[in-house]
Amino acid sequence: MKSKTKRRLFIILFLFPTLFAFAIFYLYPIITVFVTSFCKWDYQNVTKPELYSFSELLSNYKYIFQTYPYFETALVNSLKWSACGALIGTSVAVLAALILSWNLPGTKVVRNVYILPSIISSAAMGLIFLQLYNPRYGMIAQMVRSINPNFKDSILLVQPANFWALTFSYIFFQGTTCIMLLGQIASVPSEIYDAAKIDGATSWKRELYITLPSIKGMIKTVVILGASSGFLIYNEIYFLTKGAAGTTSLTYILRELAIMSPRSQYARANVIGVILILGGLGIIGIINLLFSINFKTKRLKREEE
Amino acid sequence: MKKTKKVTAVLMAAIMAFGLTACGSKEAPAEPADKETTASEEVQEVKQEPEKTEQASGEKEVLEFYHGYWHDEATWYPAVVMREIYQEFADAHADGDVVFTPIPVEDLAPIYTNKIAAGSFPDMIDLAGTSLPGAAVAQGLVYDIKPYVDKEGIQEQLGLNYTQNTIDGKLYTVHDQLLTLGMWANTDVLKATGAALPDKWDTWDAFAEAMETVRANGEAEGFYSYGSGQGSVRMFNTALAATSAGAAMLDSELTPEIITSSEFEEAFKIIANMDQKNGSANSAVNANDFSADFNEGKSAVFVNGVWAAGGFAGNAAFEPTVYPGNVALSSAGGGITISNGLSEAQTQLALEFIKYMTSEEVQTRIFLEVQANPCNPSLDLEALAASGDGSAALLAKACSLCNKAGTIVKTVDAAWGSDIATAIQNKLTECSVSGADIDAIFSTLKDELIAIIG
Repeated sequence: MKSKTKRRLFIILFLFPTLFAFAIFYLYPIITVFVTSFCKWDYQNVTKPELYSFSELLSNYKYIFQTYPYFETALVNSLKWSACGALIGTSVAVLAALILSWNLPGTKVVRNVYILPSIISSAAMGLIFLQLYNPRYGMIAQMVRSINPNFKDSILLVQPANFWALTFSYIFFQGTTCIMLLGQIASVPSEIYDAAKIDGATSWKRELYITLPSIKGMIKTVVILGASSGFLIYNEIYFLTKGAAGTTSLTYILRELAIMSPRSQYARANVIGVILILGGLGIIGIINLLFSINFKTKRLKREEE
Repeated sequence: MKKTKKVTAVLMAAIMAFGLTACGSKEAPAEPADKETTASEEVQEVKQEPEKTEQASGEKEVLEFYHGYWHDEATWYPAVVMREIYQEFADAHADGDVVFTPIPVEDLAPIYTNKIAAGSFPDMIDLAGTSLPGAAVAQGLVYDIKPYVDKEGIQEQLGLNYTQNTIDGKLYTVHDQLLTLGMWANTDVLKATGAALPDKWDTWDAFAEAMETVRANGEAEGFYSYGSGQGSVRMFNTALAATSAGAAMLDSELTPEIITSSEFEEAFKIIANMDQKNGSANSAVNANDFSADFNEGKSAVFVNGVWAAGGFAGNAAFEPTVYPGNVALSSAGGGITISNGLSEAQTQLALEFIKYMTSEEVQTRIFLEVQANPCNPSLDLEALAASGDGSAALLAKACSLCNKAGTIVKTVDAAWGSDIATAIQNKLTECSVSGADIDAIFSTLKDELIAIIG
């Protein structure tokens, strides 16, 4: 056997288990979600989805886009939470990682405390925030009242405060992504910092012109993670508002259609599934595109020239 | 070295492939009865092929019964009692052809939803009050108990199950306990604030006035009227049932005519206006959030089921009451449900189990030890309570009030589905915010409900 053929065989052998697992556990469900979104599939034919005739092929999509009352709000909210995850979540993680990388006294304790919420399930965090936002004895409600004594309502029911209340219930807990960034920061060669110090660069300039460009790849990963987790937010809504007062999301309505509805509207839920898959791909694509743009200041360009 | 790497690579690939194979089910897939028919076509037939026929000689058939009473004594004592009841049935039939095996599970829903999605149903399951999925009925996966009940003449002991759970002349599920909801009043708070006591709450206006009095005279001292949110949808439920036309609506499917009816609108707006005055600070997605406040004497009314009696015994201020207009909520809901795919012997044992669970003997234990409203209406609860502790007396009072209410209706969840109940609850909570436009919110609700049922 030629060495090239052998090499190919080994590559195939190596890839086969992963490709097989991907095909079974990801590709097949994705294809199923896509195909069944064009079917009649509910409590009447749970085990036998029926493909709609050509003229009715888009029935489920028409229902979701034109009739289902929560779709628009859910889509807008999910996109907003995705943007919040990418912008606020990543900023928090990067800032925390930069500060922790300075190794100030007490860094280890702070790092461990910061990571703690990340190892608690989001369901438990939802319950904790339910207590914090409780309008009668919740700490946050009391803080709001100390600023505005006339405010007597529940923060979770007043728009747009409830959107931010839900956002703040998860956005600051970036322990995992912070650790990822810290690992990347640690891999930046110290010689570069030393050289910058000799050149008189201040601490913040070193972070801005050395650290951040060096960990750009990891920041991109963190932005993708933040955006996708925001896009898929569910537990916080379930525990805090049950989707009331315009706080629903795409994942929440997916469950409403498939599980909560006594009519088990699987096909319509899969339309939401298709939107989530395409939306997720779109988000990754946009982030990749944005990170491929070389943002350089005019001054830097001049200096390079 | 190169060769070692290659060998290691091949070994790793083999291990990974083996691992994937091991992920598969250990059980061999069932052979289709007719190879020309697909599996999905099979389950569309009304009568399933028996899943468990005769076992190998010498082995007994097993009837698996899934239930949600998994808790230990320290967590929830009634669960221990229920398991004892099941075990006694198992012991009594230990010598029979079928082994009765009760299986406690923490989360029942995945057990039956996954089976239904695969075109089958658990041997027997207690749905614990949640509605029987329409998919199980539509696919013919569940057994019609009605012929057995009629033949045995045990209609009476099934109580509300026989009327509420009969669909198109078929009875698929029997719940040994009823989901019965009235209200609980703290007469100390009502008296302290000068509000009318429950015996004067004949109409929703009278109730609203009493709640207003609690607010006006008690707010400064930290009292509030009631917890809205989940409680509000219960109140809407009974406000709708206050008229005969409204009560009839809860016995039928939700239609655009019902949603746009004056009864529906009036019921919604009565509760929405009351909730707005009550304030969104006293609103929560779960009625139990107000349990502690009520126990501590901070609120005048607690909207919850009769089962709350256990926590209120010993304090004469806590009184059960029905909703204005002498209306109570009582749903049989989903209960013990039998698969349509059992063998004759298994089915017979399952049917006997239903008879056993609704018998006076077991129902008495359910009332006294489980502290729930038994489905069998022949029990004299007050007489039974005399032999129990204080909480039994309070439970008997609460159950009797509800059981004897002028109008008894199903909950919105049971009548129209959880998604409808959530939609109504969410809109009522939105109305509780000060200054919210109730008319506009109701208009949105109507559109939402019509779209949901579309």
